[in-house]
Amino acid sequence: MTMLRAARRSPGGVHPAYRKEATQGRPIENMPLPPLLRVSLSQHLGAPAKPLVKKGDRVRRGQRIGEAVGFVSAHVHAPTSGTVQAVVDWPTPAGGMQPAVEIVPDGSDEWAADLAPCADWAAADSRALLARILEAGLCGMGGAGFPTHVKLGPPANKPIDTLIVNGAECEPCLTADHRLMVEQAAGIWTGARILRRILNARTIRVAIEDNKPDALAAMEQALAAAPEADAAIVALPTAYPQGAEKQQIYAVTGREVPSGGLPMDVGVLVENVATALAAAEAVVEGRPLTERVLTVTGRPVARPANVRARLGTPLSDVLAFCGGLREPAAKAIAGGPMMGLALPTLEVGVAKTTSGLLFLAPDAAPAFTSLPCIGCARCVEACPMRLLPAELSQMLEAEDYETAEAYQVLDCIECGCCAYVCPARRPLVQHMKQGKARVALKRRQQQERKAQA
Amino acid sequence: MTEYLLLILSAVLVNNFVLTRFLGICPFLGVSKKLPTALGMGLAVIFVMTSASVVTWALQAWVLDPLGLGYLQTIAFILVIATFVQFVELALKRHSPGLHRALGIYLPLITTNCCVLAVAVINVRNRYDLAHSAVFGFGAAAGFALALVIFTGLRERIERAAPPRAFRGTAIALVTAGLLSLAFMGFAGLVKM
Amino acid sequence: MFTAVIAIGLTGAACGAVLAVAARLFAVHEDPRVEELMAALPGVNCGGCGFAGCADYAKAIARQQAPLNLCAPGGAETVQKLAAVMGVAAAPLARKVAIVLCGGDRQRAARKFCYNGIADCAAAAAVGGGDKLCGYGCLGYGSCARVCPVNAIEITPGGIARVHPELCIGCGRCVRACPRRLIHLVPAERFIHVLCSSKDKGPVVKKACQVGCIGCTLCTKLAGGAIKMDGALAVVDYAQPLENEAVIEKCPGHCIVKVPAT
Repeated sequence: MTMLRAARRSPGGVHPAYRKEATQGRPIENMPLPPLLRVSLSQHLGAPAKPLVKKGDRVRRGQRIGEAVGFVSAHVHAPTSGTVQAVVDWPTPAGGMQPAVEIVPDGSDEWAADLAPCADWAAADSRALLARILEAGLCGMGGAGFPTHVKLGPPANKPIDTLIVNGAECEPCLTADHRLMVEQAAGIWTGARILRRILNARTIRVAIEDNKPDALAAMEQALAAAPEADAAIVALPTAYPQGAEKQQIYAVTGREVPSGGLPMDVGVLVENVATALAAAEAVVEGRPLTERVLTVTGRPVARPANVRARLGTPLSDVLAFCGGLREPAAKAIAGGPMMGLALPTLEVGVAKTTSGLLFLAPDAAPAFTSLPCIGCARCVEACPMRLLPAELSQMLEAEDYETAEAYQVLDCIECGCCAYVCPARRPLVQHMKQGKARVALKRRQQQERKAQA
Repeated sequence: MTEYLLLILSAVLVNNFVLTRFLGICPFLGVSKKLPTALGMGLAVIFVMTSASVVTWALQAWVLDPLGLGYLQTIAFILVIATFVQFVELALKRHSPGLHRALGIYLPLITTNCCVLAVAVINVRNRYDLAHSAVFGFGAAAGFALALVIFTGLRERIERAAPPRAFRGTAIALVTAGLLSLAFMGFAGLVKM
Repeated sequence: MFTAVIAIGLTGAACGAVLAVAARLFAVHEDPRVEELMAALPGVNCGGCGFAGCADYAKAIARQQAPLNLCAPGGAETVQKLAAVMGVAAAPLARKVAIVLCGGDRQRAARKFCYNGIADCAAAAAVGGGDKLCGYGCLGYGSCARVCPVNAIEITPGGIARVHPELCIGCGRCVRACPRRLIHLVPAERFIHVLCSSKDKGPVVKKACQVGCIGCTLCTKLAGGAIKMDGALAVVDYAQPLENEAVIEKCPGHCIVKVPAT
């Protein structure tokens, strides 16, 4: 029996209209190489990579062009063969400027043979496998971008006994992970097995929301074809944010990650299906991460699709591949409507964490005026982390960061459920982001002062 | 035992000194901006009222009544209350200068707090013995502290919630106090005393 | 009558005795100068001196742990008074006022996108790098105006912050509040300022703003050393005198202005 139903559901959450019909049945399409690629050196959480190339250098696909700096960082590789045009500072979806390597493809798409394929990974040393994950520049492709090799190497006192492969894709409008599961289930499962080997985890679960019956069926087949001990698919009740790490861990295992803690504190590790697939390609085929699948969707898009694009492909080119806009769009979002980031420009390149490109027509993204909090507590009902968004937003408006810290603003996962339900249209997630940044800064400053004293 | 409990219940909830009897409004409005300050004030008032209840009862029973000096009640009681308040002020200044600074002018104003004199006079009027006086004094002060703390919690939240400009500060505080008083009316008839 | 006097008298004596003991028990040593120092300070409690409030600064002075010239709102007068209380010579204090070094309001500076979120400059700067095309300019959402203890900062109808120097007490709260560090404390008597903080090169600045510094260096030649170039941005050196108003007319970027002297 490889299919289980999750017995629990996290508190709170919302049920937005998922609007996945436009792309969930469309097979992944490979996009041709654009005339220019702009590969950001900061596609992951942690320090940006240091550039290893300069103007005029010739590179091959999979060649390391950015080196990880420090412990929490990842390598960056050339997505195709070509010539480096420049290393420039370029805007990122998050808003800051980060260095990016501009590459003009030469069309031959020649691979560098830096990483040897390893078909017999089951016999390989787990540390060697982990080294490959590091070499391949993997980071969390679900959106967080946490360097995978760091996640796969927890400290000795925090062993992992359960690996959860996250195929929930709870974000509305996005279907990239869904299509990956339907079309490349075997590869994802191989990747999951490799990750389990590295962690030496006792249990392995693949969590998929029950609104994806074809994905559930495909993954079940893959599991049956290559059975593993204590492995099962878990069908999760569809809800937002069921794909959020802490909520998923609770639904699958019943364990609650402590406030301020990490999944490894309860012996669990969660990895996205795309990351698992990338791990399989890195180990079995010796291919570093050079491309990803993203969903291009929204009513203004002429031909919504699931596109496999090279990292660094300008989003304007991705949109052109999907036929451009057939009506004016007010907003372009990198990601989905709940947690995505509004883009100031379409000239940013596809990053390892870009799961979607969503366009909203003006009537879908009207300008709003926010009112003072009316104390209705709908946000309190909706918060999956059981916080008090109403109180927190008032504290943050009054700039009372001490009380906000006491009310655990740092536990906010920025899922957007509170802002989604707020009748006063308050920009709650923005308040939380600001509050978290200020409290984290204050804590850092306090630690520095203690270290100096 | 039950009698004492009922006495306390009556003083704290049914006939709350601030919200039902309408005494002690000055510190109620003046010290209700921050919770730590309000708690400090509440504790100070509990000390003053309980000890003042005991000493004023003793004064009435052993000095004023036997000597037929009942007309000196007000002066004598205020003398005792002022002494206790000054005692608290000196102690706070030494041991908790922060609270002393936060309470500011409201600390010596406990002397003129009608709550304190009221409980002393009511003790005499109701002909309570020493034990009942002490318990009633404590209960009354506990009721004051409770009302103060609840009100402070409400005010802190209202402050954050940005009320309309015309209502900010004392205006909304008085409206809230009225509503809190309305809520406490629900306790009427709970204890027949 | 007699008994009344005795009774109250004895009660009063007893109370007095209790308090006398208490006063001895709870004695607190306090420097008498603290009261006098507090009286000399303006009592604004702005924190500009770096202490938690006027009382804190007074205590620090009494303990000889702070210099006498930290109070900007009090100015030279206060320094004199504090010095008199402490019995030392007074160090001179020049009056400083704040100025926002940006002139790009909505009419003159281009916007990248329409920002629809919290009306706070730090929050706006975090979204897409701020909604202005110029990555250095004033966003005009009023974070500085909100912290000013004397309401000296106005957000103009054009959407940019402007300090009224005659109201400014020089406490420095706005300097700390601005996420782009556009506000500086300058000597109050100066009236020629470069109202731009953009380090971008000329052509980039021109696209972003009509009144930005394009780095032509013309002002440096006219100012006699009082204006220096920091990359592509002209910066006034307030330590040097500058009275040549020709720099204002000659600036092709129209970014050097005369802010009335107080």
